[in-house]
Amino acid sequence: MTFINNWWLIPLIITIFSGILCPAMGTVLITHRRLLQVNLISHCVLPGLALALALGIHPSIGGVISGLLGSVIAESLTNKKSENYEAVMNTILAGMLGFGVLLIPLLGIRIDLEAVLFGDLLTANLSDLLRTFIAFLTFILLITFGYEKVVYVGLDPEGASASGINVSLLNLALSFTTALVIVSSMSAVGVILVIALLSTPTLLGLYKAQSLRIAMMKSSFFGLCISLLGFILSIVFNLSPGPAISVICVASLVIPKLSEYFKTFFKA
Amino acid sequence: MANLVAENLSYSYSKRSKPALNKVSVAIKPGTLTALVGPNGAGKSTLLRLLQGQNFPDKGYITIDGKKLRSVRSQVALMPQRSSMNWRFPITVEKLVSLGQVKYSKSKNINSFQIKSLLVNPNSWINKCCELEATMQRVGILKLANRRLDTLSGGQQQRALLAKTLMSPARILLLDEPCASLDPPAKDDFLKIVRQLADIGLSLIVSSHDWGSSLNSYDQVVVLDKTVLASGTPDSIKSKLDDINISSINDNNY
Repeated sequence: MTFINNWWLIPLIITIFSGILCPAMGTVLITHRRLLQVNLISHCVLPGLALALALGIHPSIGGVISGLLGSVIAESLTNKKSENYEAVMNTILAGMLGFGVLLIPLLGIRIDLEAVLFGDLLTANLSDLLRTFIAFLTFILLITFGYEKVVYVGLDPEGASASGINVSLLNLALSFTTALVIVSSMSAVGVILVIALLSTPTLLGLYKAQSLRIAMMKSSFFGLCISLLGFILSIVFNLSPGPAISVICVASLVIPKLSEYFKTFFKA
Repeated sequence: MANLVAENLSYSYSKRSKPALNKVSVAIKPGTLTALVGPNGAGKSTLLRLLQGQNFPDKGYITIDGKKLRSVRSQVALMPQRSSMNWRFPITVEKLVSLGQVKYSKSKNINSFQIKSLLVNPNSWINKCCELEATMQRVGILKLANRRLDTLSGGQQQRALLAKTLMSPARILLLDEPCASLDPPAKDDFLKIVRQLADIGLSLIVSSHDWGSSLNSYDQVVVLDKTVLASGTPDSIKSKLDDINISSINDNNY
């Protein structure tokens, strides 16, 4: 059982898949102006995790349902012009997180909140790996069979609806996949720090990309580099991988800007 | 050929709100270019959405050649306002235009693309209307085919949207303020293009803020302010102007 004995192998595979998956999903969400939904879903998974544990169900199932429920509630309370979406979203986000925190002592269960929120990659097991594979497969299926629709809805929601696309159903599918991706990243970076992995590589990947597909591939490449670097640094320096990956995300945005600034400064 | 008839349309966005449209009736004959003018909030975009079947009227009905709109929805295409699009989306002009061909609707008339049969001149550019390149060339964006949308000027974006609408199989085109960001030469060029389309039998309704001399380019003018204030030829409308209560139009500098 060499596979099991190599303690670093499962975390490494999860790092690779999360590094590819999260930025690709983030690219779709950013281009659909739905990145705020990541914040919402990531905060909404906690009550589901707690309830699932209390009921003896796999916590991931509870997390996905609860995240999706939060997203659906926010959308249903938003007016037609989406004017109040941010306020509604923040209310649901805070409410669901509070509900989750209240449930833990009320149900008398034990959850390592730190691991859920910020990840514990180096202790990841086969169950975490399976969760990552399921999320990866779901995303691949969504893009393989719905790429054209995803492009059309992101570009022109009204036109897409007029051409016969069920925009609400597609948005629900996106919310479901987002919830899966967030829950699958629980072990790698945690449900809170996953926001960085969904956003930062996407900003780099979208630059001059001629299509959504190219943007996703570029984002995934940057995401993979960032994740692997975080993984290696966390092993070498005995750091927590989730926060390490998040800090590298910030650095990858700040360093190019700083080097540009210094180049201009010294030229002048 | 497609006769569009809308009869007594009324529409409110919610039960509490005032009607956006009240007893609006319009009739569009095939091969005509119709201007839909009115002040901001007059209900121009709302009416176009109803005519396209995106929204349904609270009262009244819409027919095309006597058939209910729901069953022949693919015969109507709407070119949205520029502001409704996500111009930062990573996509090229060519890909955007090709999306005009995409139809996911289960309507029976999806394949009723009859522009070719409407041709009066086989050598006309419109003979190749269904071809991506010819369409882009005619609206002057062929050289921009591989450019990203967010690198285009407002006028170029508007022409790309027109090309996308032209790619659809529809025989009735609804253009929502297409001249809003065009300079005068581009605007004249645009009106020439829509005139050519009307001349080969397509029906076009163009919502506009232009209350000036360019109205002469149209066959019919409908003045709208929640309800139809007047309709007819440009000359007849101009002669009726004194009788029409267009204070709100004047207030908005039209």
